[in-house]
Amino acid sequence: MKTKMTQEYVDPVGKSVPRIDGRGIVTGQTKYAFDVSFPNMLVGKMLRSPHAHAKIISIDTSKAEALPGVKAVITARDTHLIKFGSNEYFFPHTVDQMALEVDKVRYIGDEIGAVAAVDEETANEALKLIDVQYEILPAVFDIEEAIKPTAPMIHDSLNNLAVILPVNFGNPERVMKEADYVREDKFWCPVAHPAPLEPHVCVGQWETFANKITLWSSSQAPFKCREALAKTLKMDLNDVRVIKMAVGGGFGGKLEMLPMDFAACLLSKKSGGLPVKICYTREEEFIASRRKHGMIYKIKTGVKKDGTILAITGEVLADGGAYCSYGPTVLAASMMRIFMVYKIQHFRMSGYRIYTNNPISGAMRGFGGVQSGFAVESHMDMIANDLGMDPIEFRLKNITTPNMVTVNKMLLTTNGLRECIEKAKDASGWDKKRGQQKNICRGIGIGIAADVMGSKMYKSHESAGAIVKVEEDGSVYLFTGAADTGQGSNTALSQIAAQELGVSYSRIKCKSGDTEITPFDTGSFASRVTFISGNAALLGGRDAKLQILEIVAKEHNLNIADLDIKAEKVIFRKDGKVLMSFDKALELCYSFNYGKQIIGRGSYNPKTTPIDFRTGEGNVSGSYGFEAQIAEVEVNKETGEVKVLDIWDAHDIGKAINPQSVESQIEGSLAMGLGYTFYEDMKFKNGRVLNANFANYRVARSIGLPKMHTILIETNDPEGPFGAKGMGEASLLPTSAAIANAVEDAIGVRIKDLPITPDKIIKALKEKQAQTTAKA
Amino acid sequence: MHIQLTINKKLYDLQLKGHETLLEVLRDQLSLTGTKSACQESECGTCTVIINGKAVLSCISLAANLDGAEIRTIEGLADGDVLHPVQKAFVEQGSVQCGFCIPGMIMSATALLEKNPTPTQTEVEYALDGNICRCAGYPKIFDAVHAAGKEMKEQQG
Repeated sequence: MKTKMTQEYVDPVGKSVPRIDGRGIVTGQTKYAFDVSFPNMLVGKMLRSPHAHAKIISIDTSKAEALPGVKAVITARDTHLIKFGSNEYFFPHTVDQMALEVDKVRYIGDEIGAVAAVDEETANEALKLIDVQYEILPAVFDIEEAIKPTAPMIHDSLNNLAVILPVNFGNPERVMKEADYVREDKFWCPVAHPAPLEPHVCVGQWETFANKITLWSSSQAPFKCREALAKTLKMDLNDVRVIKMAVGGGFGGKLEMLPMDFAACLLSKKSGGLPVKICYTREEEFIASRRKHGMIYKIKTGVKKDGTILAITGEVLADGGAYCSYGPTVLAASMMRIFMVYKIQHFRMSGYRIYTNNPISGAMRGFGGVQSGFAVESHMDMIANDLGMDPIEFRLKNITTPNMVTVNKMLLTTNGLRECIEKAKDASGWDKKRGQQKNICRGIGIGIAADVMGSKMYKSHESAGAIVKVEEDGSVYLFTGAADTGQGSNTALSQIAAQELGVSYSRIKCKSGDTEITPFDTGSFASRVTFISGNAALLGGRDAKLQILEIVAKEHNLNIADLDIKAEKVIFRKDGKVLMSFDKALELCYSFNYGKQIIGRGSYNPKTTPIDFRTGEGNVSGSYGFEAQIAEVEVNKETGEVKVLDIWDAHDIGKAINPQSVESQIEGSLAMGLGYTFYEDMKFKNGRVLNANFANYRVARSIGLPKMHTILIETNDPEGPFGAKGMGEASLLPTSAAIANAVEDAIGVRIKDLPITPDKIIKALKEKQAQTTAKA
Repeated sequence: MHIQLTINKKLYDLQLKGHETLLEVLRDQLSLTGTKSACQESECGTCTVIINGKAVLSCISLAANLDGAEIRTIEGLADGDVLHPVQKAFVEQGSVQCGFCIPGMIMSATALLEKNPTPTQTEVEYALDGNICRCAGYPKIFDAVHAAGKEMKEQQG
């Protein structure tokens, strides 16, 4: 019918079809929030605290308001003083941030006001003219200092303990006594930053008479952003429209409404409805968005001689910074992934998220799992070494299996962990290399991990919706609430919808993440989109298909149950015989007699049980993904430099909807994991970020990356769309440990505080040398 | 002040205050928003364009210094509806993730391949070292650069 409706990309699931947005992106036509512009648009800027901890005595905005070109100035006076947070469903007491703070500031960068002006220069000038009187308070930056009774109190939490999470099963103290060997370790997991290339940016417009707010945003979770805007601005949900544009990366940092989103809307209102654009500078992005929690991770494990793990205890101290954000669930996730990986009956760990006057910690790709991945997998390796066991043998002895219920009631159905480990082992040549290359300072190490496909973090449900609208000419729209932030979900979801509807992928256009026209979706986090939003897209495609078949059956006096649509044809289920083409069926639907609009809808909420945060019990995800990673390194003993030569990554992804995209996600995770291992390390001094730029906060670049080998394990999850699980974070979890374990294999020293730097290697080698000499 | 720039083969007469960067001229004055920017301090490569055949950061290029220059941006690569070989390779090799680095990445790659369509892997890595891809899709970006170079060489005959 149409040139684009070719037979190309029929049965798209499992094929590396090109990205649906590929041609737009490579030509610069794709519009990001960064590119949104309107006539008469104002430039907004946030007024930030220069102090880490201070009382706000007074704010005088009169001079700023009088400056020509300034159209609006707002402070807390202009707001409803409503707090927002990200874990309000499970942890209502952690809703602790105001859109604009009123009494106190708690970190350098805390927002207390905003201005809108005709240009950036004027807006910056206006900020300087706002006179804020502070009473400076003592501040605290170190987590172990902050929990002392003498520490200054940042919120109304005793000892600055924002969240205390116990995870408790069995009787680890008793069982630990029965162990043949007990080992205890302490790790430091540093602070990284999501640092998306596109900084936080939004345009807000408040149509004052129509009482309608629109926010063009770079959000990873537009519905979550809408909810927080509606709450803090006292509006109904349908008064607020959040339009997610193409997003230049999120990595967890763009999951929440920020004060800038709120301010853009309110400044627009105050300026009489003019659109207001606020774009973070790179420095603001580093200081005033969200960062990964720095963690002290203590873990103690008791094992039998044969390597069987008997009991684990531990403690996690997390630097939360000034406000809670997603902190409670990040903390939970930093302790509970272990149940997906190792069979454990006796476990006790306590997590403490501590307020400090540092910038706000929140979600970042890996969500607590990068920290626990480093600590737990390094610790397990050391135990294996102490027992004289091969680290892979040790892991195989203790890993979870398919169709098991963990001690905390997680239901692991498909589980490819064993296969992941074995495939990675074979591909890497493990047996020939492990422990064999010390003379040339080469070593090989493994880390394993598991991850969720979604988790109910801020609402009672975690549903995703989809609408599949088939137009008269046979072209198809997929409307999904899911937020493609660059991972390619619009492509994968379109493949899923097309496959289920029985048509070519080239028929589909996808509109995602617009709260006014797409169905609800909780957002892009917890590797949930392929699994949860994918199921919604599948159900939407199925519903549309049934509507078409209903008309076909009626017209031809057939039973709808006998018909199906596959590969652009209406067929008989029993023998695959073709009844008519998809286009003919569509003509029939939109014919004189029927005039039936085809609008399929899908809604999916995963089968889970809520976590009891007093114990850690609950089945958090509808499916679980698994992962094994092996790194081979070469260490230069003179310079302390570590070079990662190869990384093998075997990943149980259920089914690869788009193998090319899956590989990209894995490769990107590995590179980010390398960054966390070697150089991604935010530095602070008295609450001030010392490396708030790409020159001093280094991220992976094109030079010096190892060879990456991806191995996809397809376990075909019965609950996943076409068997698919989510992915995109798991490959980041074991990287640091795999490398640290390889370093020990190479030169016999262990680094327990990241990042691994040449200095630390040299120091560790010297200490080892001194010990050897002392013994001799 | 007044300057002339040839941008994507089109001549522009521009009135400047004097302190505008090329990035500002492209995005704000000419609405050529295909060129992105992520740091405005020459550290990320996102704003890369080609000036007189060389990949240059537009965020630190003062427009006033460029009178008479020939500039190419991401908008000027495709020939009508036909993608430039580098653009085509980036789509086909799955090199695009969030895409924010891609215009700059493609301009750096194009500048390299126009001089040397058969670069070694090391030459590719060095040519792109100034361009951060935070999604870290480097392996597939490398694939695209090699594939595009091959096609460009064939086109040159």
